[in-house]
Amino acid sequence: MRSQPANRISKKGLKVWRLYGLIQTIILAVLAIGGGVLTYFLEGPWWIYAVETVFLLIIGYLLIILFPKVRWMRWRYEVRDSEIELQHGIFIVKRTLIPMVRVQHVDTSQGPILRKYGLAEISISTAATVHTIPALIMAEADELRGRISVLARVAEDDV
Amino acid sequence: MSEQQRYKLHWITAIIEMLKTMKEAILPLVVLVFANGWKGGGTGPWYFEYLSFIIFGVLIISLFVSGIIKWKRFEYWFEDDELRIESGLFVKKKRYIPFDRIQSLDYTEGIFHRPFGLVKVKVETAGGSSMKKAEGELTAITKVAAERIKIELAEAKKRKKEKPVVEGEVTLLADDSWEVPVEETVSVRKIFSMSTKDLLILATTSGGIGVILSGVAIFMSQFADLIPFEWMYEEISAFIKFGVLIVAIAVFLGLLGVWILSVGMTFLSHYNFTVSLDKEDIIITRGLLEKKRVTVPLKRIQSVVLIENPFRKVFGYVSVKIHSAGGGVGESSRINLFPLVKRSEVETYLSEIFPELYLEEPSKKPTSKGRPYYYRIDFVWMLPVIGALIYFFFPYGLFSLAIIPVIVAYGIWQHRSAAYEIVDHQLIMRFRTFSLQTAYTMKKRIQSMEMKQSYFHRRKGVATILVNVKSGMGSYQATVQHMDVEDAEMILDWYEKGKKTSEVIVDKEIIN
Repeated sequence: MRSQPANRISKKGLKVWRLYGLIQTIILAVLAIGGGVLTYFLEGPWWIYAVETVFLLIIGYLLIILFPKVRWMRWRYEVRDSEIELQHGIFIVKRTLIPMVRVQHVDTSQGPILRKYGLAEISISTAATVHTIPALIMAEADELRGRISVLARVAEDDV
Repeated sequence: MSEQQRYKLHWITAIIEMLKTMKEAILPLVVLVFANGWKGGGTGPWYFEYLSFIIFGVLIISLFVSGIIKWKRFEYWFEDDELRIESGLFVKKKRYIPFDRIQSLDYTEGIFHRPFGLVKVKVETAGGSSMKKAEGELTAITKVAAERIKIELAEAKKRKKEKPVVEGEVTLLADDSWEVPVEETVSVRKIFSMSTKDLLILATTSGGIGVILSGVAIFMSQFADLIPFEWMYEEISAFIKFGVLIVAIAVFLGLLGVWILSVGMTFLSHYNFTVSLDKEDIIITRGLLEKKRVTVPLKRIQSVVLIENPFRKVFGYVSVKIHSAGGGVGESSRINLFPLVKRSEVETYLSEIFPELYLEEPSKKPTSKGRPYYYRIDFVWMLPVIGALIYFFFPYGLFSLAIIPVIVAYGIWQHRSAAYEIVDHQLIMRFRTFSLQTAYTMKKRIQSMEMKQSYFHRRKGVATILVNVKSGMGSYQATVQHMDVEDAEMILDWYEKGKKTSEVIVDKEIIN
């Protein structure tokens, strides 16, 4: 068996994903409440409320608690001298290998939520694909970006 | 450097540009004419009645004028090892393309070019950040002028090579130093050409499946008698049978028309298809009315894919596509190297173009462990659909069960086809969509590699390998699905190592 990549992403990333999950759940809840109001005025059967509530609870559990947790547990990365290895995925675990010589450029980016938690995501582009590590501590992301670009520059190669 | 001579395009450019814009504007124009022109009636002032014709006329004249202006203002010249293009009336656009960046020059001879001995030249560069167009396009220049560009390019290359020697510097990394001796022997070797017979087979088998299917539909409708319609009303039954036949014939005729059209188009566009090798470039020429000449630098080729369509394979034919890093999206990046070639001859041709490529059939096959995964996932959508069909159309819905063996057989077929092989620095992957695809890729051309495992995969020790190769602006993915996890990890290891200590040097030598 290949050993897993060494580094996990920041624990704060888990919080951010929970927050995303919460936002999605709230949107769904608003829709569900709209549905409930409609049911009330149209005098629909009582079980519609029950279905909506159960549905909302399940979705909420999945989006806020389970998925972020599994996702966080699964997410690992490692930047070595000659390659970058990533591992992620909830149902299907994907392990990606990107040789340094193939890296074309590295970006970090940050949305408002990520900024609030002092996090950033880092995107590694090859000539054909883009790979993203979500939610790294900002300093770490900057350091990583610098390191990858230095390592990638060492090994020049034609496409 | 002194003031360079500036060149203009041929005057036919004005007409070509005009027709090109008109082609784009033709639909709104037609709508306009139909909406206004045939109203009839004699009310209103005269100019109102002929409004659409006036607009039409003005448009044509203005298009013609703008075509002429475009041609008048367009200039190109060579300076400082760059191709410089200047165009535009109010907004002057200047584009400087360094010779080093030029990947290839593609020539096209349209029907307007032919009588005057002209060509359209497309300048393809490496980056090509604009998706829509080639970097530089010279709509119509004489063949002599096209030759001049080539000579200019070659001279610049030579100058660049000589320079370090004159200065007495040792340039170890000089890109293509080994090419110098090769360059002395100017040779354009013809590798492959398609005979008229091959061309006809290609034309008739391209997109033929729809016709076959609708033919089957007509055939089936004749057997509608066998399906028990008795329980229906007599008239409805007659109507349905009649309707099915009419629709099937209409569809068949429609498809036949489309098919004949596509046969004609394929014939015209692939007429006299020739592949030749010029030093480090592949040159593909084709076309009857519009002659096209595409140059693909060997260095830019990322992957060679052998495609075996089951229908064509019956006649012993396969096709070969290459993925190149240059060019834009879609068409131009996936080049048909051999649209149709005898299976028995393909290796001879390919090894002539790619001598370093190992072209054997991949021999390592996934074990039977992975077989169920090829069709298992399909049951997820299949079972509810079949269940619903059986429930709602009770007796006849049972026919839908027949799809299960088909899906399973297809899955087993895919599993049997899958294979891979690692030879030195090369990975061969074979997989089946409908056609069998065999991708030959050098390690240094693989942009990234991915191993995928679902929960069920992990339990049985199975994994899928995905390989990303650059293809134009995008990427091409080759895959071997549901193989043993040990084999998958072995491929990952192979990809991972190599680039470490001594092999880096070896790799560099191969590249340069």
